Amino acid sequence: MLTTLLGSNWRRRFIVQDVVGQVFIHAALIFLLLAALVPLGWMVFASFKTYKELVTSKNMLPIVWTLKNYAEISARVNFLSAFRNSVIAATSVTACALLTSAALGFVFAKYRFWGKELIFSILLATMMVPFAVVLVPLYITIKNIGLANNLGGIIVTGLWSSFGMFMMRQFMESIPSELLDAARIDGASEWLIFGRIVIPLSLAPLSALGIFVFLGNWDSFLWPMVVLSSPTTKTLPIVLNGLRTLWWTRYEMWAAGSMLTVVPVMILYAFASKYFIRGIAMTGLKG
Amino acid sequence: MQKNLLVDSRRVGLTTTAQVWEGQIRRNLRRPQFWFGATVLVPTILWYWFFAYHPIYAAIRMSVVRYNLLLPETSPFVGLDNFRQLLANGVFVVSVRNTFTWALLLVTSMIPISLGVSILLVAVWRGRNFYQAFVFLPVVMSLVAVGLLFRMLMDPQVGQFNAILESLGLPGYTWLSSTDSALVTMVGVNVWKGLGFYVVILTAGMLNIPMELHDAATVDGVNSWQRFRYLTMPLLSNALALVMVVLVIGAMQEFTSAFVLTNGGPGQATYMFNMLIWEEAFTQMRFGTATAGALMQFGVILIITFVQLRLIRPAWSY
Repeated sequence: MLTTLLGSNWRRRFIVQDVVGQVFIHAALIFLLLAALVPLGWMVFASFKTYKELVTSKNMLPIVWTLKNYAEISARVNFLSAFRNSVIAATSVTACALLTSAALGFVFAKYRFWGKELIFSILLATMMVPFAVVLVPLYITIKNIGLANNLGGIIVTGLWSSFGMFMMRQFMESIPSELLDAARIDGASEWLIFGRIVIPLSLAPLSALGIFVFLGNWDSFLWPMVVLSSPTTKTLPIVLNGLRTLWWTRYEMWAAGSMLTVVPVMILYAFASKYFIRGIAMTGLKG
Repeated sequence: MQKNLLVDSRRVGLTTTAQVWEGQIRRNLRRPQFWFGATVLVPTILWYWFFAYHPIYAAIRMSVVRYNLLLPETSPFVGLDNFRQLLANGVFVVSVRNTFTWALLLVTSMIPISLGVSILLVAVWRGRNFYQAFVFLPVVMSLVAVGLLFRMLMDPQVGQFNAILESLGLPGYTWLSSTDSALVTMVGVNVWKGLGFYVVILTAGMLNIPMELHDAATVDGVNSWQRFRYLTMPLLSNALALVMVVLVIGAMQEFTSAFVLTNGGPGQATYMFNMLIWEEAFTQMRFGTATAGALMQFGVILIITFVQLRLIRPAWSY
């Protein structure tokens, strides 16, 4: 009745069409929402509790709010440099991987040359190889070129992305070649065509890929742990993991450290959650 | 483009000239394309050589020598001895069993749960994006932070989870601190952290199914369960295959969450194969056996992925 009244097309898809059903769906979704939020909330409040209160009280909210944990953590651990390292590594990898993926996507989608499909599949095949296979040899390579314990060591290995190349090619096949030819007739150089036509037309998949690559690098753990050894070069996940041994079961310190790691991304997410979700949905549908 | 020019010039009756033109135009157009293509492809191939192919080649070589850390060139060839040594390692069987159990548990819990949540999100009239934003929230959290967070919550003495159970009059659970429950608990934490990712992909897949098909089915008097079973599910198989393959490949290589949550313990209850590789490489400094293990993993993943794609490759499209 309600659906016919509103008559909107998008409602016919839905399996549950009555209001009571909707109430149940909302109840289930609110439960999920709380399941995602409550652990986070506990982390936020725990970071403002004293150790004594944390282990004795069952209250979620602190009785006495304190900033001591943050003061202590800043005194002992250089979160600022870890944050800076993480930002530098993740943004430079993302920027470079986007550029190389777009350029390769363009070349493989729109150019015709001898051995194209062969080269493409040889490049793409590297995606299949588990990281553990190259872990040791790659570390030796990085060491040999003098990038061990250097942020460059984790940046240089992320400059190209086979998945990005694949995704951008998939998308760029759909850009009409006539458009590019028209620009060529008008005397545009390939660089101009790439920068002024291909890139602007691919902003949606590029931003999707960018979010995908950024999240992957921001969260990267095993490789940075192997490459980076001194406190000044470590990235956030590595420094955060170090708290486990630095403050054994001092949960309020863990919470404060986690807050410092998580909050910047959360702020970003609060403003751009739409793009995050669209990005993942798009990479899923393309890939 | 060249084709269009050719057709146009033929129309005005300049067949021979058109061919000359075409050749010239193609050459003129191809030259900048050649340079652009070369500037893109040459660095690409160099990078892939240094950071992908050469390491893979080095890995294969490394797996058949007893790697000498100080003088790598003098490493003696030992054939398949590294593989034999790894198989003889006491934790090998444990880590393989753990990894398979973990992958199986993760897939069999993640797929139905994310499918259920996606159905809820597709079925809700209002607030889909709002709910989705919160379901996705744990995905953007750092996995290490998630690990620390759940270690705090699951502490048998002071953790909130047991406090909640107690307040409900239930006995406390051992969570990560017992060999029986650690692996299952780890699966739970990873479902919490990863759910949003798969939900977003599956929801997008469901919303991508053309409305006309739903209409046609409804007109034919199909009820909503049948519509889900015989329309949504088959047409979702592309997205589902992707989710399944990505999930299994990731699970087979699990390292971070086991490392942060339990460090493989208690005992060896959550000791994953990748932790064995890591330990062989960087604690024992046995590069040969570590890489041999990784190559074995590669083979297993290839076979599993191949079988999966064979089994669930969609039979139709729209």
